[in-house]
Amino acid sequence: MSASTTTQKGPLAAQLAALSMPAVLFTVAMIAFPFCYTIWLSFQSISPTGMTRFEGVGNYVRMVGDDQFWNGIYVTAYLYLLSLFLQLVLGTALALLLFRAKKLPGIIRSLFISPFMMPPVVAGMMWLVILDPSLGAANYILTSLGLPPSAWLASPGFVVPTLALIDTWQWTPYVALIVLGGLQSLPPSVYEAAEIDGASRFRIFYRITLPLLLPTLVTATVLRSVDLLRFFDLIYITTQGGPANASTTLNIYGFRTGFEFFQLGYASALMVTLSVIVLGTVLVLNRLRNTVAW
Amino acid sequence: MTEVSETDRWMGRLNTVLLILAGVIVITPTVWMILSSFKFSHEVTAYPPKLFFTPTLANYATLSETTPFLHYGFNSIVVTASSTALGMLLGAPAAFVASWTRITWPAIVTLVARMAPGTLFLLPWYVMFRHAGMIGSYWSLILTHAVITMPIVIWVLLPFFDNIPRSVFEAAQVDGCSPFRIFRRIALPLVSSGLAVSAILAFVFSWNYFLFALVLSNSDTKTLIAASFNFIGEGSTNWGGLMAAATLIALPPLILATIVQRWLISGLTLGAVKG
Repeated sequence: MSASTTTQKGPLAAQLAALSMPAVLFTVAMIAFPFCYTIWLSFQSISPTGMTRFEGVGNYVRMVGDDQFWNGIYVTAYLYLLSLFLQLVLGTALALLLFRAKKLPGIIRSLFISPFMMPPVVAGMMWLVILDPSLGAANYILTSLGLPPSAWLASPGFVVPTLALIDTWQWTPYVALIVLGGLQSLPPSVYEAAEIDGASRFRIFYRITLPLLLPTLVTATVLRSVDLLRFFDLIYITTQGGPANASTTLNIYGFRTGFEFFQLGYASALMVTLSVIVLGTVLVLNRLRNTVAW
Repeated sequence: MTEVSETDRWMGRLNTVLLILAGVIVITPTVWMILSSFKFSHEVTAYPPKLFFTPTLANYATLSETTPFLHYGFNSIVVTASSTALGMLLGAPAAFVASWTRITWPAIVTLVARMAPGTLFLLPWYVMFRHAGMIGSYWSLILTHAVITMPIVIWVLLPFFDNIPRSVFEAAQVDGCSPFRIFRRIALPLVSSGLAVSAILAFVFSWNYFLFALVLSNSDTKTLIAASFNFIGEGSTNWGGLMAAATLIALPPLILATIVQRWLISGLTLGAVKG
């Protein structure tokens, strides 16, 4: 018996390894190697013609003194925090509405998934037309209501809130469906006990539902953080980081440094920094999830 | 008692009203895009905007004349279908092995790949593909888009493979089946719905992906998404055409997403949430 398992062990392990080999090779060639290569590039200075010179930490020193870098950090943080706040609050509210509705026809669900399954680029094209300062429908609605029109994406002061609003339109239903999943997995017995005790709706939500939902909310925060900290498609298609760099996130700045100004070394340093920010945020949030788990 | 059920009824009505309101807010921009795509050019920029108008298919008809829309569409299909197929070929066996051996690193590596900004990979790829003279080729787009599709396939399929009772594999092994045979003849047929879901989600994400084609394609291999800039450039004078292009680009992912909506949330959240 033991002889047969040991003789089988070899070919078994070899066959399993062979099955996963294509994926491993692909991961090494297209993910792991490029990942390390970028870190190496971030310590180099590369001329547009492809000449490479070791730069040491020069790119990182330059970054600390670069106003554009700090602007990128500021825009990224502003857009991230505003969007995340709106999406969590509105998403939870929408989830509660969906949860109370009990039966949800498939067509309604399709309606709510349509914003976040359409390409962000299409969302950008669509909102460019709606938010057009002179002929767009949004300003028409505002002026009809007696409110002042806005330049929206063309306004340096309002471009980030506008982008946050578009992203919130696109991703709130996603957050809502995640929270809905959390609500549906809560044990009904806790509500019943609270209702028997005569607790008010608000108290039940605040004291029972919300604490039990915290792990789900942290999960939603992790998932949205990863996308929001790398915010790119929608900005690039609508404003390219403008007006006057007011919507130049770190990701946009890194992209433009690399592919418009062809400073590949410095762009790599910016992208390594952004990756550290994203991974760091995810690790911190994962810690947090363990502390709120029940 | 009756008083309580009365307030419950009102709360139920309020709930429905608020839900309809939310639905209207969610759907209105999309409806506006679709409506605008059926407007004549003088009506689409009319101010105040018109809700009622005589619909026309002119914008769709002229799309292939004013822009190489069909050519870009063909590129999108080639890149998306090939990268989905490649992602399935790489990801399905890897997910099977990860589930069998309970090794977690493939899941973690693909998770890191999912979290890192695309530009991080694009910089070295650009240098690599430039050396290989592959910039602008279909292959550069297919390989890079497989970095999007393979992790999706692995994450969607893992729970499907995990759900197969281990006794099935053990019985097959006793009968002398090799892992190759077990994978091909037993495991794959058992996860057929998982294969469909992962292929559809991979297709949608590859179709929607913007950044890689933005840099690695040329005017001949440009995908629809990357060509959006051209449409916006044209669209400053022709909103109807722009909205027609936007509607057509959004159509495939929206239809496919509706098909897999039961698995959508657990697929998108990489299994963190049971939808």
